[in-house]
Amino acid sequence: MTTFKPTPFTIIIDISYTVRPLYILILLLGFLTAVDTLLFVQHNLAGNRLDGHQKIAEIAVAGLGLTDLCISTEARYTRHPSISDPVVPFMDHLGAIEHFPSGSFWVPVTPKTLFTQNN
Amino acid sequence: MRQFIEKNFNILDYALTSLWRRKFKNISVMVVFALVIFLLASFQMVTSALTKTAANSLTQAPDITVQKMSAGRQEAIPLAYLEKLKGIFGIRTVVPRIWGYYFDEKNLANYTVLGLETWEMPTGNELNLTLAEGRFPQKNETGLVVLGHAVHQALDLGDRKVLSFFRPDLELQSFKVAGIFSQNLEILTADLIVMNLEDARQIFTIPGDHVTDLCVYVGNPVEINTIGKKIAALLPGTRVLTRPQILKTYQMIFSWRSGFASVCLLSALAAFAILAWGKASGLAPEERREIAILKILGWETADVLVIRFWESFVVSLLAFILGCTLAYIHVVFFEATLFSPVLLGWSIIHPKLQLIPDIKFADLLLIFCYSVLPYMAATVIPAWRCAIVRADSAMHN
Repeated sequence: MTTFKPTPFTIIIDISYTVRPLYILILLLGFLTAVDTLLFVQHNLAGNRLDGHQKIAEIAVAGLGLTDLCISTEARYTRHPSISDPVVPFMDHLGAIEHFPSGSFWVPVTPKTLFTQNN
Repeated sequence: MRQFIEKNFNILDYALTSLWRRKFKNISVMVVFALVIFLLASFQMVTSALTKTAANSLTQAPDITVQKMSAGRQEAIPLAYLEKLKGIFGIRTVVPRIWGYYFDEKNLANYTVLGLETWEMPTGNELNLTLAEGRFPQKNETGLVVLGHAVHQALDLGDRKVLSFFRPDLELQSFKVAGIFSQNLEILTADLIVMNLEDARQIFTIPGDHVTDLCVYVGNPVEINTIGKKIAALLPGTRVLTRPQILKTYQMIFSWRSGFASVCLLSALAAFAILAWGKASGLAPEERREIAILKILGWETADVLVIRFWESFVVSLLAFILGCTLAYIHVVFFEATLFSPVLLGWSIIHPKLQLIPDIKFADLLLIFCYSVLPYMAATVIPAWRCAIVRADSAMHN
């Protein structure tokens, strides 16, 4: 059996050295910060791109008298929430409960009572 | 000072090692925690993006919209009201409009048909800028329509320029496609079919002396509310909607009070309640023994609490950053895929949602406060209860 005999030129590396946990945490936080910084840059670029469409959107809204965003087209109170009849129970016929999925995303628009003959 | 920092770094090292010793438990807690924050942050970002889009785009909506009501529902308004409105000082112009929904039985899609004299509208002569191709019908041109991009795709027209609609009397009415709206405007025009007022009248068979509603434009925007009240007084049985009301509607419409938001909020609260209950009901015997050994070795109660603080702070901070980052990626790059089935519902027309959330520090702070702080409190309090018990009795138990 041969034994290891170090020569004057042998480099001994101590592999028992362990990384301090704090450094791993700092590395992890640094990585997440870098990802978030990239997303922040993307957010600003995308915002600038949308601002470019803003003027055209204003022309469309003013030229066509649009009052609502086109998000959900399944029910009139989700397609045109600001100018359609407010959502009330049994609004379509007796016993008709609200059943459209998108209806659960919108807060029921309160009855538009600001300017009616009563007030 | 240096000693204080070094001591806290050492404690943090110990806390991290302690977390890693129970890695499966802590990672699973962090993942569940991050999912809860992801859900809340996603909802917050979707609603803020939609609210911002509405606030930016709808600033040019009609000053006042007048609709006739009957039995609690909107019905066609007589054109005779137009003459009455001319008597109100301050009104610049009134534009009659016919609009409604056309159900396409082939595609099962609902289109919004809009008929108006575009040249009478404020930016009517610039509307060609909103088109990807073609032009808007000119005055006295009938039988021409401008389609939303999604409508053009749903009808699968391709290069064909002619399409037909069924009138209520089942007669077919043909139109020629004059233009298609730009894809960048899908959030406003996806399901629109714009045509001449008279063409819309024929499609819906609305009598010649009636329209759907009236768009009123006033000379001085400050007087919108005053003129709105005058119109309501002059025309009983009408619903008068002002632009500030429309903008206010969109500020409130995507709120925590909606059903879906309540479900998100309640599930998050339930998850926190379960987590807090588990933590507050006491530490595991192994953790008790660890605290007892530390105290026997000379650690003070304050040091034990600092370890527990760092442990819960690291878990909750990582979960918060991870949850918020994933929420942003979900909303912006995947168009809020998880919420789309609820947001769009059974709609056949799916506008392309270019959502860019309006991220405010206050919103992030709100999510941080009702997710991270309760978790830290729920972790530190039981540790304090255990740390004040005598070490020998803790070991004995």
